[in-house]
Amino acid sequence: MTVEGGVDVTIPYTLFTLGNGLTVIVHRDTSLPVAAVNVWYHVGSKNEQPGRTGFAHLFEHIMFEGSAHVPEGEFDILLEGAGGVNNGSTTNDRTNYWENVPANALELALWLEADRMGFLLETMTQEKLDLQREVVKNERRESVDNQPYGSAFETVYEHLYPPRHPYHWPVIGSMDDLSAATLDDVKGFFRTYYAPGNAALAIAGDVDEAEVGRLVERYFGSLPAGPPVPAVQVPEATLASDRRVVIEDDVQLPRLYMAWHGARVYTDQDAVLDVLASVLSDGKSSRLYKRLVYDGQIAQDVSAFQNGQELVGSFWIVATAKPGVDLDELEVAVRQELERLVREGVRPVERERAVNGVETSFVRSLERVGGFGGKADRLNEYHFLTGSPGFVDRDLGRYRRVTEGDLSDAVRRFLLDRHAVRLDVVPRGRRGVRADGPAG
Amino acid sequence: MDTLDRSRAPEVGTPPAMTFPEVEDYRLDNGVRVVLWERSALPLVSLELQLRGGASAHPAAQAGLAAFTADMIDEGTTTRTALEIADAVDVLGATLTSSAGYDAGHVRLSILRQKLREGLAVLADIVMRPTFPEAELARVRKERLDQVLQRSAEPAAVAEDAFARVLYGGDHPYGASLLGTRESLQALTRDDVVAFHRARYAPGQATLVVVGDIARAELDPLLVSAFDGWSGLGVDPAPLSAAPAPAQRAIYVVERAGAAQSEVRLGHVAVSRGTPDFYTLAVMNTILGGSFTSRLNAKLREEKGYTYGAGSVFDMRVAPGPFEAGAAVATPVTAPAVADFVSEITRLRDEPVPPDELTRARNFLALRLPQRFESVDDVVRRLSELVAHVVPLDFYAGYVAAVGDVDAQAVGDAAGRHLPVEHMAIVVVGDRSLVEEPLRALGLGPVVVLEPPAPAAEPLPPVQEEQ
Repeated sequence: MTVEGGVDVTIPYTLFTLGNGLTVIVHRDTSLPVAAVNVWYHVGSKNEQPGRTGFAHLFEHIMFEGSAHVPEGEFDILLEGAGGVNNGSTTNDRTNYWENVPANALELALWLEADRMGFLLETMTQEKLDLQREVVKNERRESVDNQPYGSAFETVYEHLYPPRHPYHWPVIGSMDDLSAATLDDVKGFFRTYYAPGNAALAIAGDVDEAEVGRLVERYFGSLPAGPPVPAVQVPEATLASDRRVVIEDDVQLPRLYMAWHGARVYTDQDAVLDVLASVLSDGKSSRLYKRLVYDGQIAQDVSAFQNGQELVGSFWIVATAKPGVDLDELEVAVRQELERLVREGVRPVERERAVNGVETSFVRSLERVGGFGGKADRLNEYHFLTGSPGFVDRDLGRYRRVTEGDLSDAVRRFLLDRHAVRLDVVPRGRRGVRADGPAG
Repeated sequence: MDTLDRSRAPEVGTPPAMTFPEVEDYRLDNGVRVVLWERSALPLVSLELQLRGGASAHPAAQAGLAAFTADMIDEGTTTRTALEIADAVDVLGATLTSSAGYDAGHVRLSILRQKLREGLAVLADIVMRPTFPEAELARVRKERLDQVLQRSAEPAAVAEDAFARVLYGGDHPYGASLLGTRESLQALTRDDVVAFHRARYAPGQATLVVVGDIARAELDPLLVSAFDGWSGLGVDPAPLSAAPAPAQRAIYVVERAGAAQSEVRLGHVAVSRGTPDFYTLAVMNTILGGSFTSRLNAKLREEKGYTYGAGSVFDMRVAPGPFEAGAAVATPVTAPAVADFVSEITRLRDEPVPPDELTRARNFLALRLPQRFESVDDVVRRLSELVAHVVPLDFYAGYVAAVGDVDAQAVGDAAGRHLPVEHMAIVVVGDRSLVEEPLRALGLGPVVVLEPPAPAAEPLPPVQEEQ
């Protein structure tokens, strides 16, 4: 599929599956002498149990601490010594790991990834677990506890999804659950989820496809397939009524969070809601920015976004109040704008602005082979979440098909006709409003 | 059954070399310098119009003026309102931003190639013809005042601001935050903004860095047309006065009651980008705190578990910039963490660097170089840094060889000259009741308590308790 100006946004690839079930996706791009290795494991915090939250992410840390043939600390030492960088991340849905290396160091990166996929537990110790537990607790302190508004997202999730729902608890987990994690948990988790059959390996960059096939078979081919992965139980997530939550934090300005159940990632409605978010809050003329920030000057900032995820999505509107402005006033203004959008419809130029931004972003996303959001990462993401690494062709089409009518329909169907979670984050000592009352 | 011998890491072989194109470097008739790197892999163009002199070009008392001016140029021109400017950019699917650092102003456009003409027209308009309408000025001033307010609740930002102030004092432009303070922002007038724009946003102060799918023969007519009528030399920024002489080492504590972590910063006024020790310091800092396996991160994160990450940087600018080491550490281990910072810096100064560590640092810098040129925006950033710091544009062609020449002796000598740990300032933003006494007990120097940033600019609304 091409965008204006004739550029093809397709990412050509070859795909093969090893005998043990490992999916391998290869994309050749010789613009720079760089190779990108990217591994996805289909496990995230959604696979955890209440009481053991944060484990998938804690485990991600442990994956960097050495395996049978890679002494502790050597993973990073070897990669840096070869001019490589690497990282990993965990979401509700999945865990990913990547290495970007000079093209000559591809084999090193594959050897390292294979060793921790196949031989992590041989050298696992209580000391490694305890140390990374402290690092993760500090990550939580830095990103949540000591960060203004840092606990807002996990608080909204807690109220948007019922207690047994896999999205109810935060990816980083609670301090208590992190403290409770045991060495047996580590071993069980690895054996259940970190097997070739539950993973995919994408390789992009200045690589030879035949050579990649040979190296992958050499290092990954003999790893045992692993057991079937337990299915995740997903109770229905609906809100029977609006929910209102107030928390105090070390902040100066109160902030309003509104969240609704949205659409699953990569569905057509997910694209509609993406475009809607842009119409609402991208640029000075966007509906909410103009009303709250530019004209009304009752908000310091406002953002709307569609958070499409594997099991279910959510749609968010977040606005920070100007000093002296009540959060109720912000919610009233937001709802008036949503109603006006349904009543008056969306002008073609509003849709055009949003979709043109998406088209540019598809071209720009072809620039990087590695890292988070690079081509190797996107091939794996499409593979896991749509079943086809080639989904990029249909992905852009989802956005092009969005009509003005789709946008106002989505406001009614996903926002106005549904209940919302409203979270107020207020400065300490300023909890001046009723909690759990009706919203709006 | 796995029969493969996995006991040794595979040999990596010879790293590929990266070739750098000849960058075109010329002037338009009106004096604008143009730096062009043509790259046709994708139909994208990224560019930066850079203006000499950012916050360093105005007195510290006018803190925030450079960034305020940059923020204001897209709020109305003689031909477009603020909303029309935003709409014109958004419909192109482009991004157009303006900001200011300490040494330069930056107007950046990233756009599909076939829309470059229209994008350049908007960029030129906001650079050449901003009108700074009073109503927009009042709104943006209030936004920036409220950013100051929000910043006072962000521990890392409070630490950065305190660190800059302790190092440079109140009279040096590097001592104030780019955003400015409540007092300085309230005092700035529209005339100040107009005058700063007139002095800085002139062809004689401007360099246009262009990277992407465009050749000079196509670019020049677009530029001539977009910047038609733009002339003038502007005012060359005056050289900066010297930073204050290093003080005796002290620990500066900023209260944040109940904080789960302490934000720790250590450092001093170090070197300018023109230092002859540039490559040696790059290697030295990679070893100390510039990579994941660096000594600070290895000690404080991987060995002690005190933090999610620790590091250090030589923030080199036109005039000597700060060396800064830092981390966010758990409150109960604040003092031991500070002691570890000091001991790691001291160890690097006092003991030779082992060969394997030196080789790793050199490789990490030299072999990773191609990855820093992946996107057109990446390349614009690399070239713009060179322009801002008056570095020759063929700098990267010699980078790999120069890094490879750094030896242990040079690193040791540079550590002796550039890590004066006895004179470093230590800033801690944290719970004073828990950290002050343990910090004092370290015996590293006197503990000085700094005032936290000013609270709310206006009284909060009355509290209603209805529960």
